[in-house]
Amino acid sequence: MLNEVPVEMLKIVKDLTGIELRDDDQAYQNSIQIQLSILILQLFNIRQLKKIQQVPDVVAGHSLGIFAAAVAAGVISEKDAIRIVYVRSQKMQESYPIGYGMGAIVGLTRKEVSQLVNQVNSDIEPVFTSNQNSELQTVVSGSITGIKRVLTLAKTKHAQKTVLLKVPVPSHSPLMQSVADVLEKELAKISLNDSQCIYLANYNGHAVRQVSGVKYDMINNLVHPVYWDTMMDVAEELGVDTLLEMNPGQTFTKLIKSKFPDFRTITMNSMNLDDIQFLLEKWKRG
Amino acid sequence: MAKRSWTQNRDAKAAKMESVASLLDGKFVKTENAKELLEDVIEPGDKVVLEGDNQKQASFLSETLASVDPEKVHDLHMIMSSVSRPEHLDIFETGIAKKMDFSFAGPQSTRISQMIADGTMEVGDIHTYLELYARLYVDLIPNVVLVAADKVDHDGNLYTGANTEETPVIVESAAFKDGIVIVQANEVVDKVPRVDIPGDWVDIVIPADEPYQLEPLFTRDPQNVTELQILMGMMAIRGIYEKHNVQTVNHGVGFNTAAIELLLPTYGEQLGLKGKIVPNWEVNPTPTLIPAIESGWVKTIHSFGGEVGMEDYIAHRPDIFFVGKDGTMRSNRAFGQMAGQYALDMFVGSTLQIDKYGNSSTVTNGRLSGFGGAPNMGSNPHGRRHSTPAWQSLRPDDDPLGKGQKLVVQMVETFGSNKKPVFVDHLDAEEVQKEAKLANVPIMIYSEDTTHIVTEEGIAYLYKTDSMAERQAAIEAIAGVTPVGLRSNPKQLADLRARGIVALPEDLGVHRSEAKRSLLAAQNMDDLVRWSDGLYNPPAKFRSWS
Repeated sequence: MLNEVPVEMLKIVKDLTGIELRDDDQAYQNSIQIQLSILILQLFNIRQLKKIQQVPDVVAGHSLGIFAAAVAAGVISEKDAIRIVYVRSQKMQESYPIGYGMGAIVGLTRKEVSQLVNQVNSDIEPVFTSNQNSELQTVVSGSITGIKRVLTLAKTKHAQKTVLLKVPVPSHSPLMQSVADVLEKELAKISLNDSQCIYLANYNGHAVRQVSGVKYDMINNLVHPVYWDTMMDVAEELGVDTLLEMNPGQTFTKLIKSKFPDFRTITMNSMNLDDIQFLLEKWKRG
Repeated sequence: MAKRSWTQNRDAKAAKMESVASLLDGKFVKTENAKELLEDVIEPGDKVVLEGDNQKQASFLSETLASVDPEKVHDLHMIMSSVSRPEHLDIFETGIAKKMDFSFAGPQSTRISQMIADGTMEVGDIHTYLELYARLYVDLIPNVVLVAADKVDHDGNLYTGANTEETPVIVESAAFKDGIVIVQANEVVDKVPRVDIPGDWVDIVIPADEPYQLEPLFTRDPQNVTELQILMGMMAIRGIYEKHNVQTVNHGVGFNTAAIELLLPTYGEQLGLKGKIVPNWEVNPTPTLIPAIESGWVKTIHSFGGEVGMEDYIAHRPDIFFVGKDGTMRSNRAFGQMAGQYALDMFVGSTLQIDKYGNSSTVTNGRLSGFGGAPNMGSNPHGRRHSTPAWQSLRPDDDPLGKGQKLVVQMVETFGSNKKPVFVDHLDAEEVQKEAKLANVPIMIYSEDTTHIVTEEGIAYLYKTDSMAERQAAIEAIAGVTPVGLRSNPKQLADLRARGIVALPEDLGVHRSEAKRSLLAAQNMDDLVRWSDGLYNPPAKFRSWS
């Protein structure tokens, strides 16, 4: 997935972290490699969009994606984003070597999932209601045993689908506080700039215009659920009608299409830059 | 002791108008000076009405207000019947506004709940439309009102046409109490087609850069009416309209009521009901009423607002609609709400949740949508005195001093579009009350006012129940396989049916197999155009050929 990224950008990562990003399956087994690769790919996408003079009115990132969103908003520099994501990925990898992760439930409301989570959660088997990706798609995060019990209960409540995700960390739950503590110290060393556009915050789904809100999200979003569904509601209410999804995938395009079928969408992983420029300019003309 | 001046407000207004004299040419301010004008005439802390309802928006003035310098204009107390556009809330983020009294916030329901929860916005209260209009004359008298007109002449006389809506009630509250009336106009003309607002009431006119925003909110494409909605419509016609001899009615916005409108000329005709039910309507000019109008079912319609595309049709049907000498309709939202409250036999609407007691709300998790017209239309006015057969038919037999009641009908399918039950033990609104720290749970229609609930299972005649337990049982009986509905049992259902508290389709002589789309008087938008003799002109997004 890195074949388009200029060597010069990969070199920046190498210089800052000592890590050589490789484009092979083995490298992608390593979560530090994955996180840095996705980030550099998104930073490259931002450069591409700048080249065709496209600036966003609103930016939204999901979890790791907030760092590219913050770069696109002009809040944090590319280099600082790379440094922070490197620390973040390291600490995430170290924090829970075994027995923790995330699961997804489709077909129940957040309220219904939270009731199940409350039945299961304990000090021995901690599990928390986590990301809200759509109205009926909720993630739970915590101990694998706790997650499995919640998923089983969800089946009895007629959830359409339950799945244990391939994520080895209980992200977006209070269990990640130690990582947030480290990030707080790291971000204190960095100077941030005012946001050039509206930033949709993971931790509460609000529209943020001040740098303090973006900073809070970069430090703490791992401790809170990602309120993606709310972020998209807010985007629509702000008058947004076009969504451009950066690499690597099309997940968020699919989510927005089922939520707001009239939204216009662009996915960078399936379209070339000329087409993107053509469409954005055509839509702008109306 | 100095003699008190009794003209302080008048003097203050005169001084303020004097201070902006350099921007004024008569009553007119240049479009490009709009921002400067607002910065000069609006004082920090002023009560400002910004016109906007669910159809018409003073969009040029709202955008201009959002662009003023917050150093000069801040902490405004906004009074708005509808919070619809992004900048209506942006002004709270920038500090231009601080407090809000409003009615409806559907299109901004997520942001408004967030802003209340985090203290960005202070809420005075959430009102029904009539309460908000009434308070403009009592304890929310505005300092400045910002409204929209179609045309203005050189003396400031306004033509607001089919979308007159709230403009008169807003302007009057300021014009006679030393408030400043500022109007955005689509067009400046030598002579307005008719005077909807006298120029004498208007202080400042600004030609807008583009026409005000107008949404075709009440247009429903018959194509999207389902057979379940047709079944429910058939039940309602037999079990409510016919049974109670309903003459005067308001329909909420939705496909359930669109189905009924399209069934009157077909199913209603088969039942021999033409000329017997619903000749008089308080309703917006919804295109799905065209077949019922054309086939002689509907005699009169008064409207809250206009509807995009219906202008020509209305102009050619002045016997039905309220039309000026100039040939265009005049609407009035305040009178419409008043009529809905006091003059109608029946309100029929829909909702997102109904609790086990029969309270309903459209406020769902994290979304504070406020209220549209339903709470006024859907409440029983205890002050009513005049009698009609429908109103009397709900009178209890056992009370010599008893009186009738307005019919308030909720039509819902037992499961919503998200496949979640509409019937619930607790409304989401209860949690929203806590999150947004509201004084009351935002209930749209209270159980005590709800007389009938129609679902695909049957009709619950709630007005016939004489205890809360019986009311709950009646709701359970028609709540299908929702958790509330599963509490019902065959013995209870049989008893409720025997006593006429619940009716199933077969009890009403309605055959499920007859509920077909072919029964609709119009199947699609083209049919509506044909029924209208080509006078109805659907907006582009409803045209199949565009």
